Amino acid sequence: MEHANMSAWILVPLMSFAILFMILTARKKQLFIRRIQGLSAIDEAIGRATEMGRPMLCCIGLGGLDVPTFQALAITSYIIKSSARFNTRAIVPVYDPQIYPVVEEAVRESYVAEGRPEQYNPDDVRFLSNRQFAFAAATAGIVYREKVAASFLFGVFYAEALIFAEVGQQVGAIQVAGTPSTTQIPFFIAACDYVIIGDEFYAASAYLSREPTLLGSMVGQDIAKGMLIALIVFGATLATFAPILGKSFGSLFLPK
Amino acid sequence: MPVKAVVGPNIGMILLGLVLSLVALGILMLVPQRFRRGIVRAATLIGGLYAALEFFLPTQPMPTPDDPKAIGNFLSPSVVPFGNYVNAVFGWTVGLGVINLCQVHGKRLMKGGAGSFNSVVFFLSMIMMTVIGILQKAHPNPLNKNLYDVLFVGGLVSLDATMFSIVAFYIVSAAYRAFRIRSVEATLLLATAIIVMLGQIAIGQLLTRWIPMTSAFHSLHIELIRSWILTIPNSAVTRAIAFGLGIGGLAVALRIWLGLERGSYFDA
Repeated sequence: MEHANMSAWILVPLMSFAILFMILTARKKQLFIRRIQGLSAIDEAIGRATEMGRPMLCCIGLGGLDVPTFQALAITSYIIKSSARFNTRAIVPVYDPQIYPVVEEAVRESYVAEGRPEQYNPDDVRFLSNRQFAFAAATAGIVYREKVAASFLFGVFYAEALIFAEVGQQVGAIQVAGTPSTTQIPFFIAACDYVIIGDEFYAASAYLSREPTLLGSMVGQDIAKGMLIALIVFGATLATFAPILGKSFGSLFLPK
Repeated sequence: MPVKAVVGPNIGMILLGLVLSLVALGILMLVPQRFRRGIVRAATLIGGLYAALEFFLPTQPMPTPDDPKAIGNFLSPSVVPFGNYVNAVFGWTVGLGVINLCQVHGKRLMKGGAGSFNSVVFFLSMIMMTVIGILQKAHPNPLNKNLYDVLFVGGLVSLDATMFSIVAFYIVSAAYRAFRIRSVEATLLLATAIIVMLGQIAIGQLLTRWIPMTSAFHSLHIELIRSWILTIPNSAVTRAIAFGLGIGGLAVALRIWLGLERGSYFDA
């Protein structure tokens, strides 16, 4: 079991304070966030699927009940709400049976929120398999058979990421992807039309919903990032100049 | 005796998990709809508080038979039982997944048509794997073991490996598209990829072997350039992305923990 060290003791509360402070600030004043092209492309992809009269694939990855999967689900909910307005079908394959009831509920609620509960089809939220490549094969099969017009790949992915992206590319789907799995980002960049990188993945729900709480959290994230950058510059400067002063980096912080 | 020691507490935990889950579900069903989210939020807050306190509270040596160097605090001993409880809940949800699969394929089978053959294969595979899996555990004779190996190692593992091997071909086609020179970035990507690939293989390393290692230009050895690309710019970018993701994850976790998350299933 891991426990907090000195850095975690200082940084985690400090960053948490910055994020919570900005959430409270955002409730009082309007905050600005820059345009994220990958997220703006979501509406374009939904529009394309609507025009072509073909379904969309919303894959939330291989994560379980964890933060990245909840974030992926928040993005998927937005996509389904938008597509419900145009009567466009969304297929959501599920890898982990733990999250299957949560996904089912979130998808159903998204249709209800748009006033289209009749559009919800329980067969479109499908548990496929909790074996990585069986899930990949089944999802690829859905993409081929249904000839999806848009493919949204948000969540935790591993080696199967490229299978989804390449199969989507082969059927001519417009693809938008975002993942916290840093090893899979290059594959998505190579094979997808739009990719959101790094913390843009966690900014997605704020960007799409413009909800003040989420916007505040996003600006808080930027402040926390600023703190880290300042700390890195400070550390790099000390590490560079400490040898010139004839001391090691660590000895600058130790009592004589 | 050792088997009993391992199996006993796990079965107890699974049963306790099932009972607790049933009680929790029963209470949630009895509570009026408008209070349910409040209860779920309170449970999330308590669960998150436990995890946060366990992580942040000062630690002391707490050796266990498995790990004599273990450290922890007074909350640490409960981490494993909580983990077992989560496993028990997972056992429930596997059943939900199987029910969903049977529903989808059952409907398709009833309708008939083009995809119904796949559904027949699904039901046959599931029934065979379940029956032979149970037989192999209950009566581990050579026949049952061999049948299980044929299905699991010969069938499932081979199919998994086949799917994985397809990735190699997809990498080639994705790389071909990514490396086409269409912009400055794509050109840069192509040049970097060529250097890394040549630096990785012996024939590539031969190209710059003529540069003496003692000369001022020895750092132009292709394997050294490759190593520099991977350890300096590549690591810097990967760490930058990881920092951003870490902070983003912290923000979402805080919002969920404190009931501040908004959108679909989080709204009050």
